[in-house]
Amino acid sequence: MHMADALLTPAVGGAMAAVSVAAIAYSAAKIKKEDFTNSKVPLMAVSGAMVFAAQMINFTIPGTGSSGHIGGGILLAALLGPWAGLLALAAVLIIQCLCFADGGLLALGCNIFNMGVIPCLFIYPLLFRPIFSRTPSPKRSSAASIVSVIIALQLGAFAVVSETAASGIVQLPFSAFLLLMQPIHLAIGIVEGIVTAAILVFVHNARPEILTAAAAYGKTQAAADGKPRSARKVILVFAVIAAACGIGLSLLASSYPDGLEWSIAGVTGAPELAAQGAAADALAAIQERFSFMPDYDFAAGDGTGTSVASIVGAILVFAAAGGAALLIRFAKKSKRAKAQS
Amino acid sequence: MIANRVHDLYVLENLSDKDTPIHRLHPGVKILATFVFIIVTVSFNRYDVLGVVPYFLYPTLVMSLAEIPYKLLLSRFLIALPFCAFAGVTNLLLDRQTAFVLGGAAVSFGLLSLITILLRAYLCVMAVFLLIATTPFTSLTRELRRFHVPAVFILLIEMIYRYIGVLVDEASSMSIAYKLRSVDSKGIAMKHMGSFVGQLAIRSMDRGERIYAAMMCRGYSQPTHGHPSHSGPSIADICVCAVLIAAFLLLRVFPVLHML
Repeated sequence: MHMADALLTPAVGGAMAAVSVAAIAYSAAKIKKEDFTNSKVPLMAVSGAMVFAAQMINFTIPGTGSSGHIGGGILLAALLGPWAGLLALAAVLIIQCLCFADGGLLALGCNIFNMGVIPCLFIYPLLFRPIFSRTPSPKRSSAASIVSVIIALQLGAFAVVSETAASGIVQLPFSAFLLLMQPIHLAIGIVEGIVTAAILVFVHNARPEILTAAAAYGKTQAAADGKPRSARKVILVFAVIAAACGIGLSLLASSYPDGLEWSIAGVTGAPELAAQGAAADALAAIQERFSFMPDYDFAAGDGTGTSVASIVGAILVFAAAGGAALLIRFAKKSKRAKAQS
Repeated sequence: MIANRVHDLYVLENLSDKDTPIHRLHPGVKILATFVFIIVTVSFNRYDVLGVVPYFLYPTLVMSLAEIPYKLLLSRFLIALPFCAFAGVTNLLLDRQTAFVLGGAAVSFGLLSLITILLRAYLCVMAVFLLIATTPFTSLTRELRRFHVPAVFILLIEMIYRYIGVLVDEASSMSIAYKLRSVDSKGIAMKHMGSFVGQLAIRSMDRGERIYAAMMCRGYSQPTHGHPSHSGPSIADICVCAVLIAAFLLLRVFPVLHML
């Protein structure tokens, strides 16, 4: 479910990054309100590392001969509470992105949203806690985790499809991609839900206080704030931010097809939309002039002459890159040889 | 088998204590350049093979200047490739309209977008790997403070990064013990996952308590690195950063190969 940079446009990646950054900042502020000197941070760290390790354990799925691994969003939220769970999961996703290229840097916002914000901030307070918390029992905790994991994965898969379709790099139609993703993730969700349930039941039997403390964590926090419905409020706020970002940026993206302006605005941080519009128009004009494929359509055009020159150019770039690399290597080697002699 | 992943996790960082011009660059410069590089390469339209090609110079040059073994990065990239390759191939199958004819062979739009996706995937993955392989992890995370990332979150990333090694070791010895007790099993049976991961979870929570106690014994009260511990970028660093970003943007606005 990790999305890669190559299949995203900067507009979609940036919009989702904004949403995820807001979610992380909010969660971090929530944790900060709690006494910093409690044992929460090391607990979060070790649990995050535990989920990372648990994801590497492949288990065999009976009757299919295939194997699976857990995702861990609901598990972390159940062990740590929603805010801490999201922070730990986001940190795990960042490390996976940096060290294993599981999901790209630009795609981090999408991945944190799909796999972290959805299970921890949406599903956990709305589904898991209501089913779980009245009178915690093994039955309740397994029902809660199976339902939550399945719904969280369905929403996550839907988000992946939407983000990919909004980027328009992959040409698989939205409906076909959706038909491919949802059933696969339903199967994964059922398996992961059962495993998560088994883990939580085990933890519940051994240490019931861990799960009830986590479930109470968000609640007492809300009660202390004097805002009993804060979780729902937060979700509403995020939904509005997400919708606003999505609509605004897709308008931006559709008027300037390839998101160049977005990237430049991101670099300069220029807030003036009017000036940016003018600059964007100028850039668009320049781009139009030099574009290899104006309007993506030169099936009937006479572009063959230029394209051969361009391809030769491309080959030259590769040759130059390779040549320079060899040269640097050679220079370094001879320098080292000199130093040794 | 699981332990190999620990090695994989830290092998890139182990390259980061060399002393080359790239390693000496200020971490903030590298973070910024990597971000701009990725955003710019991804901002090309999906058929624009030629626009993306010049960006190959960046990872290639950085890799050789920083003396990073290309085989290692390349094999890492291949592991990350399959999903992008799959998406690219669906484009190849779905988008069969001829884009242009090259030496008698028709080139379809689908082929162009497949090539673009693979090139983009390579460039983006390499940019991130090179950032990690040339910058020690702690200077990277501490630099994030300058970008206003919350201190708790930075502390969390650093601790998770270090404790992954410990917990993967623990999971690995647990799975070896499991295998020794169960003949002929390929992995852990699904019905045993609950107690297996549950056990791991409880052990980790206990370990968390012990770590906390140890931190308290050493006088921990607040996340210590509220500010980056090292100095800001030098003028040379800023110049390198400006040149790199300007080059990326110029190549975006004036795609050289299109003008040939």
